[in-house]
Amino acid sequence: MSGPSRLSLRRQLLLWLLLPQLVLWAGGGLLTYRIALSYAEKGIDQSLTQSVRALARQVKPVGSGLLIDFPKAAQDVLEQDPTDRVGYMVSSPPGQFLLGNQRLPAPEQPPLVGGDPVLYRGELEGRPLRIAALDLRYGEATAPQILRVQVGKSLSVQQRIARELVADLLAPLLALGVLLSLLFYGGIRRGLAPLTRLTAQLENRSIDALSPIGITQAPSEVHALVQAINGLLGEVARNVNQEKRFINDAAHQLRTPLAGLISQVELAQRETTDPALGARLAKVLSGADRSAHLVHQLLTLARTETTAQRDTLDLAELAREVAREWTPRAIAAGVDLGYEGAAHQPIQGDAMQLREAMANLIDNALRYTPRGSAVTLRVEAAGQHSRLMVEDNGPGLSEEELGHVFQRFWRASEQPGGCGLGLAIVREIARRHGGDATVKRLQPHGLQVVLTLA
Amino acid sequence: MAHLLIVEDDELLRDGLTAQLTQAGHSTETAVDGEQALTLGGSGAFDGVVLDLGLPRIDGLSVLRQLRQTLPALPVLILTARDSVEDRVAGLNAGADDYLTKPFNRDELLARLQALLRRANLPGAQAAAPTREHTQTSAGIRLDPQGWRAWLGDEAIDLTQREWVLLALLVRHSGQVVSREAVLAAWQPEPGESGGLASNALEVYVHRLRRKLAGSPLSIRNIRGLGYLLESVGAP
Repeated sequence: MSGPSRLSLRRQLLLWLLLPQLVLWAGGGLLTYRIALSYAEKGIDQSLTQSVRALARQVKPVGSGLLIDFPKAAQDVLEQDPTDRVGYMVSSPPGQFLLGNQRLPAPEQPPLVGGDPVLYRGELEGRPLRIAALDLRYGEATAPQILRVQVGKSLSVQQRIARELVADLLAPLLALGVLLSLLFYGGIRRGLAPLTRLTAQLENRSIDALSPIGITQAPSEVHALVQAINGLLGEVARNVNQEKRFINDAAHQLRTPLAGLISQVELAQRETTDPALGARLAKVLSGADRSAHLVHQLLTLARTETTAQRDTLDLAELAREVAREWTPRAIAAGVDLGYEGAAHQPIQGDAMQLREAMANLIDNALRYTPRGSAVTLRVEAAGQHSRLMVEDNGPGLSEEELGHVFQRFWRASEQPGGCGLGLAIVREIARRHGGDATVKRLQPHGLQVVLTLA
Repeated sequence: MAHLLIVEDDELLRDGLTAQLTQAGHSTETAVDGEQALTLGGSGAFDGVVLDLGLPRIDGLSVLRQLRQTLPALPVLILTARDSVEDRVAGLNAGADDYLTKPFNRDELLARLQALLRRANLPGAQAAAPTREHTQTSAGIRLDPQGWRAWLGDEAIDLTQREWVLLALLVRHSGQVVSREAVLAAWQPEPGESGGLASNALEVYVHRLRRKLAGSPLSIRNIRGLGYLLESVGAP
């Protein structure tokens, strides 16, 4: 994957489907609230207009004064609801309180005298109000006076209604939203299922399974991907097969003449009585043996790179078995070869390759440690992994040399027999088993090679 | 000793094999390709065949399959450069009795051929283990399962049954490491014992056996964490 975005496709789809939805829901709710509020306001305005006109009718000019015929019953009606407070005020000139139960604020724009009432918002004791104001003319025509009648009603009811309306609307919408999200999620999961299956199929493959992926029921996009991968797998499989055939052919071409050479030299060695010739033949034989060893190592390396079995096996038992096979050579070399560690350690692996790795490590240890040294194989569990260690108390290597040991054809010394591929093979085999090989110096002297195997 | 057919297309190796097998006391004939191998091998004149797989004309595996149809008991040892597991399995499935890869060790080839010929000469009846134990080793030990007796040279050693089984196992695998598990498996549980032997019981027996072998050229070497190995002092 390229790019910094590590967000999964599923999350991206969910995000892009749900986030706009959330914004839309929120906008819708706000709009609903506003509409509800405006409708409620219209209702209030209507009733306020009626109330203000009715109250104005009760105010009758008598000569130059006013007679306000405001029966108790009407007062009660105006003041009846304690939550839905209705305030009224009669003033003349406007603002000069004559009568009322509240001091209502004046409108910003005074109403047209004798015209329709003006409706506006105001505030009383911190609470919002809707107020209707009506101006009337009275008195004599020469000295006209203006009378203002105001009726105010609390807006809290209106807001409550709007809120209730929105709540009533939003509750089912919210449920719908949750349901929709679940449907989205399920749909995305379903839609992406072929990709998940493909991932699982690819993840569960061993490195060498190059058979095509079998996904038949998949949408066209995934199908194309599968086909592309299958094409690639087929190409890799062809190359691997070619390489395998080449390795086997090379094995035959190299080994047969070497076998012939070795058998001829062995025969000549037995037939000669000349010690000088015998010594020369021994050198030829050792050269032929070294070549045979190199061929073997090269082929092992090449084969390790192309194949690996995965069988259940006991790494500890395998280590002991290989160590037992090498014991006669260890005794001949004067080295104490032993095993310490777990009695059993089951792992999934390629017995042939692991055997090869151990043989290489023991071979190295025997080759580079002097008589009287000890070489110890150790197998232990390391969490989910297994660890195989081969350590010796020989001279070891310098820090500088440690950096090179896994390089192909690098050799620590001119000791005969080694070809410099042993540890490269060991590391390759460890990696083939989902692990790695490391090497470190032991105190006071010695070398430890650790193979971590998955 | 035996009349052997060598099927090998590489001249150098064919010549070397012929000389090695002749020196080991066998008489040999050679075939250079698959066709010749079938003609010669089908005659029934041979006690055994050393067969290469990569042959001209007819491949070694086909040769083997065809030979097997007429001569099912003919001992065949495949000697090939193909050393992958698949090749071994294919070779053994085609009817090979043994499989050795090139380049090979002369002694190993001779030993394996010997084993093949011995098995072929004793049809069915595997040489009963006890009689095989009754052999002289290079260090001069003789073992007789009748009454669990053993002799070092002419001197009899007094052994218990377990000590005898332990010694026999070590002698049979002389020069090789015998695991503790192998010894424990070879021991029959004694009456009253419920299977699992205490692991230090083995050390006690080894200790006693060592004392009884004291003064002989034989010594039991303890191989750290791996088991025991019988050595004859003086031998390399």
